[in-house]
Amino acid sequence: MNNEEKYLHVFMSTFDIDEITAKSLEFQGIPAWDSVGHMGLVTALEDSFNIMLEPDDIVELSSFSKGKEILSKYNIVF
Amino acid sequence: MIDFSVKNIRIWSCLGSCGAFGQAVLSLPESDDSVIVITADLCSFSGLERFKNKYPDLFYNVGIAEQNMVGIAAGFAKEGFNPFISTYASFGSMRSAEQVKICMGYMNLPIKLVGLTSGFSVGILGATHMCLEDISLIRAMPNIVIISPADSTATIKATIAAAQLKSPVYLRLTGGMNCPVVYKEDFSFEIGKAIQLKSGSDIAIIATGSMVYHALKAADILEEQGISACVIDMHTIKPLDLDVIKKVCSLRLIVTVEEHSCIGGLGSAVSEALSMQINRPPLLIMGVNGSYPHAGDYEYLLKNAGLNFICIAERILKTFKEFFDE
Repeated sequence: MNNEEKYLHVFMSTFDIDEITAKSLEFQGIPAWDSVGHMGLVTALEDSFNIMLEPDDIVELSSFSKGKEILSKYNIVF
Repeated sequence: MIDFSVKNIRIWSCLGSCGAFGQAVLSLPESDDSVIVITADLCSFSGLERFKNKYPDLFYNVGIAEQNMVGIAAGFAKEGFNPFISTYASFGSMRSAEQVKICMGYMNLPIKLVGLTSGFSVGILGATHMCLEDISLIRAMPNIVIISPADSTATIKATIAAAQLKSPVYLRLTGGMNCPVVYKEDFSFEIGKAIQLKSGSDIAIIATGSMVYHALKAADILEEQGISACVIDMHTIKPLDLDVIKKVCSLRLIVTVEEHSCIGGLGSAVSEALSMQINRPPLLIMGVNGSYPHAGDYEYLLKNAGLNFICIAERILKTFKEFFDE
């Protein structure tokens, strides 16, 4: 699984959504991505990519696309 | 039914004790249809968004009106409900002290008062939001059980246990988000029964709330210095587990650690228990001494008060040497 697939899988499995929904998803766009779901997403991303997100990055993780931008700071190449 | 999986424990740790409380209370109506939740303008902060969305008829936000919240909860309790009420610990315990005394202490109504961010965790907001006196205040009131869980997992267990209790409870939540994990898996939690997390033969460190993690880390440092420390999670401050205190009287030193004033809290409770023991070791009470500090972030305030694990270990080591310089 490449990083793109891994990243997509994290969103799909964390929020139990399909690929199309995942790719356009924004924070609070679905009930599951609330403040609790956000922490679930953060821990899943950290586990999948073996990283520790900085607090500012956790706050700024506001959409599927923004998340990719943030992960690139951790040398994750998409 | 709550799943104590490694993944969930990690998420609860990220959420901190407030978010963990919200997760625990979300599960309660499944088994207890008398549970209702009231907050004083801290819905999201109490981790209650999901509860509000799932059970809108069981959720009330009274606004910034903590005293009124206690009174409303008392009315619900009189009608047979099992009310959980949440707000900042300082406002729940101190601003509402008279209502807590009358409705919970005197009337003995089974209200579960959840004091969020007790201690220093929102100390960045200044002394108004630091809560270092709540145990002292509420401990003096009859009937009220006081619980201070060590981490997010323990907060889940304590919330469930409190719901089953037919007496008033003050649930004192400490620590911020990303709080360290003490309990890595499901465990047995019984109100009034302390948990020994580490055994030791020289001293006993009895800690409560956020200080349990720091006590464990301090014990590791002391071990390297040749001092064997047992660590006890005194999650219930009232009623105090007297049996465990009697057991540690055979050791050379007892230390209590709390994110609370040195006066009136865990240290005082242990001191009162020890006063009736004929053979007892010295007691070192570690907590907050002196005046209120300026606003600052959590880690800074803990260090400033001498309550991070490094400071705790240094103070114990110094005290141990003073008593037993060998």
